[in-house]
Amino acid sequence: MDASSSSSQPEFDYLFKLLLIGDSGVGKSTLLLSFTSDNFEDLSPTIGVDFKVKYVTIGGKKLKLAIWDTAGQERFRTLTSSYYRGAQGIILVYDVTRRETFTNLSDIWAKEIDLYSTNQDCIKMLVGNKVDKESERVVSKNEGINFAREYGCLFTECSAKTRVNVAQCFDELVMKILETPSLLAEGSSGGKKNIFKQKAQSSDASSGGCCS
Amino acid sequence: MAKIEAKLGMIMDSVGQFFSGKDHLPYCDSDIVSGCEKEVLEAEKLSSDEQMQDCLLRLSWALVHSKHPQDVHRGIAMLEASLPSTKEPLQQREKLYLLAVGYFRNGDYSRSRDLVDRCLTIAPDWRQAVTLKKAIEDKITKDGVIGLGIAATAVGLIAGGIAAAVSRKK
Ligand SMILES: Nc1nc2c(ncn2[C@@H]2O[C@H](COP(=O)(O)OP(=O)(O)O)[C@@H](O)[C@H]2O)c(=O)[nH]1
Ligand SMILES: [Mg+2]
Repeated sequence: MDASSSSSQPEFDYLFKLLLIGDSGVGKSTLLLSFTSDNFEDLSPTIGVDFKVKYVTIGGKKLKLAIWDTAGQERFRTLTSSYYRGAQGIILVYDVTRRETFTNLSDIWAKEIDLYSTNQDCIKMLVGNKVDKESERVVSKNEGINFAREYGCLFTECSAKTRVNVAQCFDELVMKILETPSLLAEGSSGGKKNIFKQKAQSSDASSGGCCS
Repeated sequence: MAKIEAKLGMIMDSVGQFFSGKDHLPYCDSDIVSGCEKEVLEAEKLSSDEQMQDCLLRLSWALVHSKHPQDVHRGIAMLEASLPSTKEPLQQREKLYLLAVGYFRNGDYSRSRDLVDRCLTIAPDWRQAVTLKKAIEDKITKDGVIGLGIAATAVGLIAGGIAAAVSRKK
């Protein structure tokens, strides 16, 4: 805490915003927890929006990842959609044991991205979760691969519960962001100042709006 | 007035960042708050009671997560008013949690802790509540008296409070 509050120069090279979306119950929060903390057990559905920060070194770069977790429930959707803006990476999660979570990707989630994502070059990653329940699988790996190809996403299958492929999933996504110059420019720590500028502008804009 | 509010919001932000330096809870921009307000107005005209409840829940979420102290106050007032008539257990605990967030944001850490403890009695492994509780305890132990200073700024827009916060920041 002391280090972060006293130093004005950043302790990381880039800050990336990643976003987890997908139906309720597919394992978004578990995936986030299994990536960011040692012990994880959480049976409560996410209220609104939540996030965790994790510092990693990937590709020789020190990165601060702000990973945003959204409630998949319909009743929160207009709220969660506001948090798509500015994300450099979006992780679309489905449950390989529940077909409707896969069909909702094209019916709901891909559309949400088109509507609300502000980053043209934003990297998308499709994740089929719960592969530890292999005997209950109803969505084949090939279906996942095909969907990812059609929508221009990276693809992986993982288990948030056993942690199989979880770190690789985030690594791969981040590597891809690091290879994308336009996303790098936004996420660079020099750009951190811009966050404050944007804040100031948006406050001004909104206060102007309410007086008019 | 609106300008002052915006400025104060920014001072509050930097004060918050200066003291904690840690990211705990999401913030919500004013356009999200106004979006939720519009939804409520529209729902009043043509929606079912349940949809209305959902709209109000989103609005209270946005208010207690707002950067602006007066939004947080409004959120707290809304939640306090609706809690007694909320009987459904899931809704009840959502509101308890949001209320705890509200009191945390305006600096009333002891009340926030009481509420979050109630949440954790209902669901001991509830991660958002666990995270909030940690944040409250951090504040109480690390900020101590300074926490009260922030609360005073938030509650009364006391000029002295702002001056003190700004000078501490230097
Ligand atoms: N077997 C198995 N269960 C999982 C896995 N990931 C999550 N779950 C369980 O699925 C349920 C919903 O998970 P949660 O993370 O809350 O889903 P969210 O609504 O998408 O955030 C919880 O009971 C988790 O324990 C997984 O990889 N394997
Ligand atoms: Mg969740």
